[in-house]
Amino acid sequence: MRNLVKAEWLKIWNGRVWWILSGFALLMCAMACAGFLAEAKKQLPRGQTTPEVVTTTLVNVWFMVELVAALVAMIAVTREFGNGAINRSVLLSGGRRRLQVAKLIAATAAGAVFAAATGVLAAASPWVFLIGTGYRPAWTAETTWTLLGVMAVVVAGAVWGSALGLLIRNQVAAVVTMLLSTWLVSESLFRLVPAVGKFTVDEAMAAVYHDVKPELLSPPVALAVLAGWLALAAFAGGRQFLHRDLP
Amino acid sequence: MMSAGTVVRFDGLTKRFGPMTAVEDVSFEVRSGRIVGLLGRNGAGKTTTLRMLLGLTRPTAGHATLFGHAYSDLPDAARRIGVSIDGIGPLTAVTGRRDLRVWASQMGVPATRVEEVLDRVGLADSANKQIKNYSQGMRQRHALATALLADPELIVLDEPANGLDPDGIRWLRTFLRSLADEGRTILLSSHLLAEVEQTVDDVVILQQTLRYCGPLDELTEDGQVSLEARFFQLVDTPAREQAHA
Repeated sequence: MRNLVKAEWLKIWNGRVWWILSGFALLMCAMACAGFLAEAKKQLPRGQTTPEVVTTTLVNVWFMVELVAALVAMIAVTREFGNGAINRSVLLSGGRRRLQVAKLIAATAAGAVFAAATGVLAAASPWVFLIGTGYRPAWTAETTWTLLGVMAVVVAGAVWGSALGLLIRNQVAAVVTMLLSTWLVSESLFRLVPAVGKFTVDEAMAAVYHDVKPELLSPPVALAVLAGWLALAAFAGGRQFLHRDLP
Repeated sequence: MMSAGTVVRFDGLTKRFGPMTAVEDVSFEVRSGRIVGLLGRNGAGKTTTLRMLLGLTRPTAGHATLFGHAYSDLPDAARRIGVSIDGIGPLTAVTGRRDLRVWASQMGVPATRVEEVLDRVGLADSANKQIKNYSQGMRQRHALATALLADPELIVLDEPANGLDPDGIRWLRTFLRSLADEGRTILLSSHLLAEVEQTVDDVVILQQTLRYCGPLDELTEDGQVSLEARFFQLVDTPAREQAHA
């Protein structure tokens, strides 16, 4: 199993996709921090916000890395279906179930790497972005929970992406499904019917990283809902992978 | 040590895709240490048959075994069987060496073996090139290298001569014979009859149903009749007429 996981790990980091997406995430998070700070600099002197809130928000912004972790894991799976390498993966793995487990373990590990990097950058960002503003970061327990939540959803995102990749197989369809689900379906459902929308995977993640939206689930419940979504995706992806002919 | 006797057995193998029957009631055996050519026109069911053998496609009926087991139940299958089949591509955005190293890693094969197979297929000098920049012939050699990584007893190849130039075809013939001389069994599919005639020991002719299975010499009457003539005779005759003949 160790060899299998190692091979899956190597496949995830093949090519330039992961660092292009990582660079994009870094840019987006930095721009979001800068944008938020420009607004905060007006609000802080008026007492409309506090250094504590600013610090926590600068950490919270890094949740965007979750999407990148999901895409990297998803693309690693779907490109194997695209080029037919999945057939060789199956032949050399000793069984499709073992391969699925190895893919999920490797995706979790990749998610952990993204989460660790995100954790460092997110923790450093209040100090980096508040330089020269006349304010100092004010780290609170809420900031710590937010940081841990951001890191948790980054790991979850990688698992989610890998499981969806196994389920959908086609790269374009999988990526479009994930982006639509994230930016359109979950958001719209939450706005229209929050009682239902808060149970979507994206809103559960938002609750875990302590987003300020009202009506979100409590973080412990959100974690349970998120675990349920991941288990469902892994089950459905696995069922599809085990029973459907390979391309 | 190579296994003696029957290495591969197809037993009543049938595959239907909806209303279309790709392969129907195919039964034959491949004996140890032989080079066996699976011949048929495009769409005759060769690749589907090989995919069913390897468990990549589920048969509608019948079964196929390797060393007496279904592929999924065969202990150490990845190391005993080397595969290069149409539709199994290399990884994306990698060099030839990196691709082989990933697969070697998956099988627990040391990196030194990667260099050995690269050398053996003549790609050692090109192994740091991206596979997307390989010629078709280089891709075929790379696929062969991948199949040989674990030093397998049985090698399953799908159209290995496709895209090779005359030098490459001659190289492949010698290469396959050297593998068989080492005691390996080779099952290869092809539609290049003249090439197969110079390479294989046994012939299986498939045109949705099995049309012939046996030694090449018997089919060609020790070379008095060409394989091409016998092939068209067999595939152009409806299976039902052959059964009654």
